[in-house]
Parts: sequence; structure tokens; C-alpha cells
Amino acid sequence: MAPQLQLGDLPPAAIPNSAEVYPAVRPGVAAQGAEVYRSLGCNQCHTRQVRQDALLFGARLTETGTNGVNLELPGSGKTNFVNFDLLIALAKVRTDLAIAPIALPSGLAGDTNVAPKFAQFGANLALLKRSDDKSGIARPTTGPSVNELAARRPAEVLAQVGPDAAERAVKLLGDAGAKAELVIYNLGPDMDRGWGARRSVARDFLNDSPVLLGSVRVGPDLASIGTRAPEKFAAPWKFASTNTATELEQHLLVHLYDARLLAKGSTCPSAKYLFDAQKPEVRYAGEPLTLPGKDAPVFPKHNARALVAFLLTQRTDVGLPEAPTPAVAAPAAPAAPTAPAKP
Amino acid sequence: MTSTQPASQTACATAPSVVEVEASCRLPVLFLSFSGVAWLVLGAALALLASVQLYVPTFLEGCPWVTYGRLRPAAINALTYGFALQIAFALALWLIARLGRVPLTNPLGLFMAGKFWNIAVTVGVYGVLAGDASGYDLLEFPLYASLPLFASYACIAAWALVTLHQRTERDMYVSLWFVLAGLLWFPWILSTAQGLLLGWHVPGVVQAVVAGWFGNNLLQIVLTGFAVAVLYYFVPKAVGRPLANPALTQVGFWLLLLVGGWGGLSQLSAVPAWIPAVSGAANVLVIVPVIALLIPLWQTADGSISDAWKASATFRFMAVAAFLLLGVTVRTAIFGGHFTQFTLFAAARTDIIVLGVFGLAALGALHYIVPRLTTGEDNLPSDGLADLSFWAGIFGMLAVGIGFSLAGLGQAKVNADATKDFLVNGVSGIAGALQLVTFGYGALALAALAFLANFALAVRRCCAACCGGAR
Repeated sequence: MAPQLQLGDLPPAAIPNSAEVYPAVRPGVAAQGAEVYRSLGCNQCHTRQVRQDALLFGARLTETGTNGVNLELPGSGKTNFVNFDLLIALAKVRTDLAIAPIALPSGLAGDTNVAPKFAQFGANLALLKRSDDKSGIARPTTGPSVNELAARRPAEVLAQVGPDAAERAVKLLGDAGAKAELVIYNLGPDMDRGWGARRSVARDFLNDSPVLLGSVRVGPDLASIGTRAPEKFAAPWKFASTNTATELEQHLLVHLYDARLLAKGSTCPSAKYLFDAQKPEVRYAGEPLTLPGKDAPVFPKHNARALVAFLLTQRTDVGLPEAPTPAVAAPAAPAAPTAPAKP
Repeated sequence: MTSTQPASQTACATAPSVVEVEASCRLPVLFLSFSGVAWLVLGAALALLASVQLYVPTFLEGCPWVTYGRLRPAAINALTYGFALQIAFALALWLIARLGRVPLTNPLGLFMAGKFWNIAVTVGVYGVLAGDASGYDLLEFPLYASLPLFASYACIAAWALVTLHQRTERDMYVSLWFVLAGLLWFPWILSTAQGLLLGWHVPGVVQAVVAGWFGNNLLQIVLTGFAVAVLYYFVPKAVGRPLANPALTQVGFWLLLLVGGWGGLSQLSAVPAWIPAVSGAANVLVIVPVIALLIPLWQTADGSISDAWKASATFRFMAVAAFLLLGVTVRTAIFGGHFTQFTLFAAARTDIIVLGVFGLAALGALHYIVPRLTTGEDNLPSDGLADLSFWAGIFGMLAVGIGFSLAGLGQAKVNADATKDFLVNGVSGIAGALQLVTFGYGALALAALAFLANFALAVRRCCAACCGGAR
């Protein structure tokens, strides 16, 4: 009874800044597809539960702020804004990075705007040095420096650290006048495989009946098949055009027809009985399906389209309070080499 | 016979004779036994076909009725309801009648209820193959099959309990504790699960929790309990000694009821974390009652094991079933966690308990009961067929268990490491282990067929004895 007490009244989660809730009730065709999924026993081989090993955090620098000073001579036409406070803050966050010395151009020595800030920077550097010595931090003098980090936007200041370290970093950067945001890392083999942006939770299944979680992964997990990137499929493929939704639908239909057309080693039983070889004599037969390597198209029956519609509703990209997702536009790849996993 | 009968010193004066008791058992027990083992043949055959599809996907392709997603649940439900529970009823009736020294109440009614049970299982398997499966593990039968199933069970259990109430041997032997617990536990979990799933319509993953709770209780308490009941009856009988250490048995019995029902939810991931955690702890704790139940058996048989092994086919089945009970409990406790989640390793627990722990114990018991109920002799007509049934049963069970376990461990490595290719390592790579599983189901079907042939010979011998050889 305890699970019912805990979960019986679980409401759908409101999606921020919209009138929508998650999970939304499935449209009619997808709801019929759920019945096809149950009837054919897809759940005997496919789970719909993404697992997650760890939830870690990071800090990302998005803007350096407006309190930087221009280190180029006025009238030179060039700008080189440097936020001294940000450099100090970054150095406090990333004790493994050098802080490159900055020379004040001689023409600016008398500038009443720049000179005091530069002097303050020198004092702060000395304080930082003292605090480094006190805590036994041996900061390198060469190699990657916080100056390079500050010059890049967005910059992954911290990656895959605990919540406290990440929050401290965001606060320090914010105090320095810059803008920084907390980044979420959902980690685990399932995420590495691209099977989902976050773990599956009870709320994902509020509108399912029966709830077919699946218990064996003879085939890949399907919790996020509706949003999976083509290169993350068991047999990777590529979108040929920008009409990605239609392409994914076609891909899944071909998979239903015969999975071996897409992946040689697949053991998924083909569901050719969900397709007509001849154009059926109905008023609207739908678009024919072109099969790779075959000339004659086939005509998916309603159940095939319904099943694919159901699969396309499978997604884990909606963040929930109990299972947050990384921001959709996370540029993880370009920033990776400069963001080592170190608190 | 009565000298090794446990707790039989204080029989009432009105106690009926053994012959009377066995005569009342003949019709229902033989019927349930025969149809149960026939379901074993059919279920193992369905499971065999399904296992082939795991590595030859084109096998039986193109027909929705025999696609893997329908064959596999049809096989598991046929084995659980057609074979295991049906044989459990046969054994329960027989144990109640023998240990209670009372003729069965209403044998004809029991026979009819058994008949309806078989019809309901047939309808259920047909429904699953037709695509009406409910989608909950071990509860896949559609409503139009599970309601008649429950009704016929109610009749069987009611008459069994009336018989138990009328027993002339008032002391309840250990086996009867487990029989009584199983007879009462099964309707409780079935009605609760069906009520919550189909009546109350609990929302979301609570459904999966309820179905998992039902499946685990069915395996861990009902079927394991019936297997233990059989072990406790036949092991002392085979070695010819009274049961040693009944106090420990009592501890094991209550602990099993207390702890056994909590496990079996570790296949759930999308639920609050405490549910799989509690379940994992219970999976470990259940070792305690299982060991507490096996130690008295060991103490009883210690010293005579090799003699009994040679002398009695029934004892051989019992010894293997006891070993498997320990094995599957330890296996689930040690490897039942996150690593084997979502693999065939975890799924094979159902097969091992239904076919191995309960199945082998039940086959052994039937090797004793069937000859007694036909001509009153101690052994089935053909020793060769009995040996074939035993060795095919053991090797089949081992092949299924080991094959699924190896395949599951292969899948677990892929699940734990994203650098491994899913198709190459997790799908094609486990084909060898799955071929072993196919072989195992074939051997189990052979074991059941060998027993059925022996059964037919025993019936023929009985007819010959009654009618002087006339057909």
C-alpha cells in the first residue's frame, strides 16, 4: 500500500512558462499505438526505463559582465575588455589554472578609470597568492590560464562536480559581475548511449494503463525513442533532410517492417503483417513506405502508424523537479577539452 | 508405509484406512497431475520456440500469433498456471488427505473444478497468443480467463480446506503448514492484484509495483512453499527417519511468510528509490528462512543420502530441488541488484523457481504418488523412463538456468558500459548461451513426456489389474 500512498495522487508537473503539463495526455492515434505495443508484447524485449548512476553539476560562464575595462588605448579603434574581478573569481574557482600576468599599457597609466582598478587587481592578486599559500595550493605559472577561460563564451568553468562546488562557482562569478549558470550532468551508461536526457521517473507513466515498463533489454531502451538522435540508434544513421520528424517516423516504420533492413544483427521480429503489399482499397491509404534496397513500396496499416505514433511520444527531454534535464542547447562538445572534471 | 509416516502415532479410532483415502484421491489427483504435466510439455515447447526467436529472428516470422512478445508470456503463464499451480493443487489435495488421514471431500467436484481450471488456462493462453495479454508479468491472462481461473480455484481451495478441517489426524505436520499457507496466500495475492489493477485502476507505476509484488509472492511464497511442503513430506519418508529439528522449521516457516513477500521488485527503475532498495534487502534476508528450512532436511537425511539417492527416484528429484532452492536464493541475493537489472539473468528467476525448485520437486512427488494411486505399488512401471525423466529434467533445468544466466551476464556488461556495442555484444553476442536455453527447454519437455509415458503405462497396468487384461 505504501507505493499507492506515495504515488497515488502524483499530479502531472506544470511546465514552466506555459499552460502545458507533463505528461500530456496522448493523442488518439498514439493511445491506440500503446494498445498495439501491449498486444504485440514489445515490452517483453524493450524497457522504457532509463537508469542514471549520478547527478552532477557544473558552472558555465555565459557573459563577462559590464564592469570590464578596455585595455586598448582610446581612439585606437580596438577594444579589449578585461573584467579583473572575474579573473580573480575564476582563479578562486579553478585552482588548477594559471593566472596570466596582465601588463597595463603605458598609455593608460594615467587613466582615472583604468588605473585604480588595475591597482585593485594587483592587491587582489596578492591576497589570492596569500590565500593559495595558506591552503597549500601550488598554482601553475604556465599552461592554460583563467584569462583564456574568461575570453571564451560560453565557457565551461566547472564540469561534473558536486552541487556545493558548482553553486559556489556560480555565486563567485555572479558577484564578479559576470553571468554564470548552473549546468546539470545526468551521468550513466544509458545517457552515454544517448538513450535519454535524464532518468525515467514515476511521473513519466501517469497516463499509461497498463504501465509497460519492461524488465529485459533484449532490444534498446525506448524511453526516449521519440527524441533520439539518429547517430545514437543501435545502427546509427543520418537525417537526409531537415524534415527530421518525418524521417524518424519513416525510419521506425521500416524498423517495424523488417529491422534487418536497418541493422544486420537485429533480432527484432519483423511485423510485416502490419503492412499491405498492395495499395489497400480505402479512401485514404496514407503515404506509401519506401524500403531501402527494395523497389516496391509497402503501405503501412493503421496499427503500424499508431504504434509509431506511440513510439514518437516516448521522450525524456522534459525536465522535472525530481529529475532535471540539462539545458537543451548545451554545447558540451566544443568546451570539453578545457573543462576537466576537477572540483 | 505408516512406520515412516510423520506424526502418525495418535490416529483416531475413526481414521479411515489408507486404501479409502487413496481411493478418494484417485480421480482428482490423477487428473490434475496428468493435465499439469501435459501443460509442462506444451509450455516448455512454447518456451523453446520463443527462445529460438531470440537468436534466429526469422524463425516463425510474419505471424503475429507466434511473435516473441506473445509466445514468451504464453509459455510462462502456461507453465505457471497450467503446470505449476495445477500440480500444486494435486499435491496439496494428496498431502491433506494422506497427512490428515481423511478422504477428500467431493472428489467429483474437485475433478470438475480442475477441468474448469484447465479450460480457463487454455482460454488464457489462447488470449495471450491472440494479443489480449494484460501486459503485467505473470498476470498476462486477460480478464475473461483470469476470472474463471479464480472461480475454479475458489472451488478447489474450498473443498481442500473442508477436507483439512475434517482431518482425523489433528496434529498438523510441517507440509500441511505450507499447504495451508499456500492455499490461503494465493487467493489473497491474486484478488488483491487483480482488484488493484482491474477494479481500482491504480495509476501509473503503482501498477508495475503491484504486478511485481504479485509475481514475487507467487514465486517466493506460494510455489516455493508448495515445493518445501513436498520436500518435507518425501525426504523423511525416503530416508525412513522422523523429521529432525522441527523447531527450526517453525522459525523458517514464519520468517518465509514475513520476509518472502517483500522482494522481487528490483526490476523496477522508474519508481521511488526505496522500493527497489527494500526489495533488494528482502532478497538477501530471505536466505535466512530458506536456510532455516533446509537445515532440518539436511539433518534428517544426513548419513543416508547416498543410499536414498540410489534407492528412490523421488529422493533424487527432492535432493536436486532442494539444491536449486538454495542456489536460486543465493543467486538472487548476490546478483539480484543493479548490475543484472533488465537482463535475462534476472528474468530467469521465474523459470528456475517454476520449473526447477517447484517443477523438479513436483515431478519427483508424482513419481511416488501416481503408482500408489493406480495399482498401489511403490514404483512406476518403467525404471528406464523414470531415469530418463530425472536426467532430462536435471540437465534441462541446468541448461535453462545456466544459459539464461550467461546470456544475462553478457547483457549486464553491455548495460554497464556504453563503449560496448549494443548489437554486437548485447544481442548477437549472447546467441550461444541462448542456444543452451533452447536445448534446456527441449530436455524439460522430454522429461515431461517420459513421465507421461510412464503415467500411461501405470494406468494400463492398473486397467490390467482391475479387468484382468481386458481392454
